[in-house]
Amino acid sequence: MNRGGAAPRERLEILWYFIAAMGLILGLRLAQMQLIQAGEWRQAAERNRSQMIHQNAPRGRIYDRGGTPVATNAPAFSLIFLPGKDQSRQDLKPLALELGRQLSRDSGELIETLEQAVRMESAIRLAENLPTQTMFRLSELKTIYPGVVLIVEARRYYPFGRFASHLLGYMGKMSQREWRERKPKGYRVDSRTGRIGLENIFEDELRGRDGGLRMEVDAQGRLKRVLDKIPSEAGSNIHLTIDAAVQRAADDGLRGTLTGRGAAVAIDPRNGDLIAMSSQPDFDPNAFLSTDPSEVKSTVLELSEFNNAISGAYPPGSTFKPIVGLAALGEGRARAEDAVFCPGYFELGGRAFLCWEHKGHKRVSWLTGLALSCDVYFYTLGLRAGGAAIERYARAFGIGQRTSIPLKSEKSGHLFGPETRKRAGKGWYDGDTLNLSIGQGELTVTPLQMAIATAALANRGSVWRPRYTQKIVYADGRPDYVPKPERLGLVPAREDAWDHVQRGMEAVVSSGTGGGARIPGLNVAGKTGTAQNPHGEDHAWFIAYAAKPGEPASIAVAVLVENGGHGGATAAPVARKMILAHFGMMDPSAPRKARDVPARVPAPVPPAPPFPVRGRP
Amino acid sequence: MTMARAMRAQSGLSGRVDWTYIAAVAGLVVAGSLAMLSAASTTTFYSAILQKHFLALTLGVTLFTLTLAFNYQVFQDQAKFLYGLAILIVAATLILGKISRGQRSWVHLFGFSFQPAEMARTLVVLSLADFLDRRARRIGDLSTILLGLALCVPVMVLVLKQPDFSTALTFVPAIFGMMFVAGTDLFQLAAVFGFGGAAISVPLIYTFCQLRYPFAPAHSLPGMILSTSRMGWATAAAILLFCAVGLVVWRLASWMRVQIKPAAFAAIPILLSAALLSGIAVHRQLKGYQRNRFVAWIAPQSDAQGASYNVIQSQIAVGSGGMWGKGLFSGTQSQLGFLPERHTDFVFANVGEEMGFWGTSLILGLYVILLWRIVTAARQARDRYGYLVCAGLASTLAFQLVLNVGMCLGLMPVAGVPLPLVSYGGSSLLVTLWTLGIVANIYARRYALF
Repeated sequence: MNRGGAAPRERLEILWYFIAAMGLILGLRLAQMQLIQAGEWRQAAERNRSQMIHQNAPRGRIYDRGGTPVATNAPAFSLIFLPGKDQSRQDLKPLALELGRQLSRDSGELIETLEQAVRMESAIRLAENLPTQTMFRLSELKTIYPGVVLIVEARRYYPFGRFASHLLGYMGKMSQREWRERKPKGYRVDSRTGRIGLENIFEDELRGRDGGLRMEVDAQGRLKRVLDKIPSEAGSNIHLTIDAAVQRAADDGLRGTLTGRGAAVAIDPRNGDLIAMSSQPDFDPNAFLSTDPSEVKSTVLELSEFNNAISGAYPPGSTFKPIVGLAALGEGRARAEDAVFCPGYFELGGRAFLCWEHKGHKRVSWLTGLALSCDVYFYTLGLRAGGAAIERYARAFGIGQRTSIPLKSEKSGHLFGPETRKRAGKGWYDGDTLNLSIGQGELTVTPLQMAIATAALANRGSVWRPRYTQKIVYADGRPDYVPKPERLGLVPAREDAWDHVQRGMEAVVSSGTGGGARIPGLNVAGKTGTAQNPHGEDHAWFIAYAAKPGEPASIAVAVLVENGGHGGATAAPVARKMILAHFGMMDPSAPRKARDVPARVPAPVPPAPPFPVRGRP
Repeated sequence: MTMARAMRAQSGLSGRVDWTYIAAVAGLVVAGSLAMLSAASTTTFYSAILQKHFLALTLGVTLFTLTLAFNYQVFQDQAKFLYGLAILIVAATLILGKISRGQRSWVHLFGFSFQPAEMARTLVVLSLADFLDRRARRIGDLSTILLGLALCVPVMVLVLKQPDFSTALTFVPAIFGMMFVAGTDLFQLAAVFGFGGAAISVPLIYTFCQLRYPFAPAHSLPGMILSTSRMGWATAAAILLFCAVGLVVWRLASWMRVQIKPAAFAAIPILLSAALLSGIAVHRQLKGYQRNRFVAWIAPQSDAQGASYNVIQSQIAVGSGGMWGKGLFSGTQSQLGFLPERHTDFVFANVGEEMGFWGTSLILGLYVILLWRIVTAARQARDRYGYLVCAGLASTLAFQLVLNVGMCLGLMPVAGVPLPLVSYGGSSLLVTLWTLGIVANIYARRYALF
């Protein structure tokens, strides 16, 4: 039934061409996506379906000179959350509540962490170092909530706890900015790095290559299967010149003093090896890896990162006197036999400079002057030697300069003398010479500098660069790195001057103010110091070196106890403990518990880690 | 009718049936079933989905055959009844329908759920074809276009009420295509649909500006465009501008001695202004999720977790399939759940991932063959009515193809339009097979023999 004219058939053809053109466009787009760009899209699909769960590699171990591990690894359980692609915020809430209950943490914070993981589309660690009990309770959650995974990985473990804390450092999280800088090196946002000390300096060596599991996940973050296993590689091991026994003696000794604050450094005078370095107050580096975030927080808050041994500058007081003596005797400006009368004060320009012994020491010569630490004797000696000579000798001993130990934030202290003053455009007066002669005035030194100087006094002038690395055993098979001893300088002085100074320091211990460091069977030489401190109680100093009879000295010690009062009373016993530990001797003055205690103290045995350690030794 | 004649008629019918067309339909149904078998395998109601699909397929094939059996002109005779049926089912959906995903578009009958909007569309095509056929003598009048629209708009409005924007949208190409091939006045057609298009594109431009330049200063172009949506002096200025442009063009034309009816030129600014105003009205009506879909299309990387997630995952699925695909049941995007709606709206992306380029180009090729056969059926139809019905169905199918495949390939916004015959959906399959049966009928009876 045709009503009216024929339909305009050409319009149908236009419609058909239009449809065919559309089909062509779709076909071209298909070819573009599936034939030309297929590779890129395939990568995107791969990224979608696979999730990497990283496993921290065991960090390289740190050993003391005898091979006792002082920083090692222990297995620990970590709770991982894998975000799903189409996981909504509502799904996260019950999980956060449940986890908050199990881990006793704020669920609001947890939600934020979970949301961050969803935003960044990468796995995140919710908790680390979980105790076994918690781990078993949490493993039930895996079945209820998709994306919750428990893995075992290596964590840092310090078997001695509070032990050389400032030297070893601790492990901590990175700031966002730091992470962005380290990202190219393969660090993850939740990676921990060495924060201070050796953990920080040897980060590249100690850090191994993290392993991981490449998992296939579905859109909800549920694990389907393991696609790949990448084993982790342990970091390089570092052997230190530190002697764990001496270090322990230093740590415990300082902690047991009046104030419990200070520093102690022991150096091998034969090569500059660092035997011990202690700074108090210290911290337990294990606390930073605790499961309990509040414990970590409080540790960080109370943390004293300040390493007194290299960053603390104190007036050396009387411990500076051997150097003054060496300057006077070495330059031939004074003779050891010359006697000086000490009435308890020294008059200069109508002003009285007091001796610490107000009653006076009467007649003193070199041996008695040093042994009793007579200030008047050293005023006289100092004036004879002259400020310039003292300054020169002190500089030769490394005072006022960094020892260039490879540690961060080392201070140089401050040396003053005519030359320094001249450079500053100021004058030098005899009163300044008197102050310098007894180690006061503007003079400040670090305990490390004092230990290096003491070592130079012991070895007759060799100023060593302090060294703490015995060797680095590389994990990748490179030959071991063994640093050589490095002599920074030599103090030029006449042999008889050295004889006098060393005999004088022996007299300090045998018959003078340093009697507290006397050890039968050993030649111990030292010098006490009681540095005046404008801010409070005097600082107590003691420097010493010790040798077996007929052998060269093998340990030089500098001990500082902040506000410790008299050096001979407070600091000398710490030095004594360190020397005893160094020679492997029991403390003869300590009461013996049983008769069959061996004479030699065995090296401390580290307590067993909480779990058996697996992986590469 | 004797037995022999009946036999002859039967063999005659089978001789006239377009077997290429039927092969294309069968090929699409088979490919779709395969894709669905794989894509739905990880869903919770896999066996229920299979049962429903094959039940719908059986019913659909039966309906296809039944539709082929009687003369399609019955539909023209019963046009009024069919139109009434269309109104009835969409109205019934609004009253009896169950709310699912914020839409009242499903009717539950005898334990089956049914989505009547697509059926209503075919019914509207049949009614409109009858109307345009009867208006053949006055086809050039504006009234033909307006009355034809008036016929369709009530059904569309009821569908929009559900609210099912996507299905309502698929009415437009059918109506436009039929009016176009019917021979209406092109200028009038362009004016009417241009007005509608402008009314829809103005809110899209607003959304685009809001998205790309959220803090555009008032004196910049996007800022000025945005300020018109507030219906202030800027809107008035824009309308004045339209009028001025119209006037200048008219003067220019008369200066060039081009004789154009003044009314035609007056229509341009009036139409543009009206479109702007109605666009502002639509902009204020646009639902949040509709805006989000548009956002996902314009800037897919802006929020991978939110609205554009679907678009990105679908493109990843298609692209990663490569030449040969990852194999049925082994596409990671589909089987691990990254691809959303993988057995319904995004089934084409599943085909792309698991069967690769050969699978997608096979489906696309089958579709082009199918459309070519429908256009051929239109060409050879014995009457205007059949011609119009075929053209309308071809435009609808082509539109759905472009919208769905374009969406999977990131060329079109996520519209929620299924791919007929391939996407899972019982009522869609049933209605599509019935509709295609009508086309087969028109072709088979191209010579007015019986």
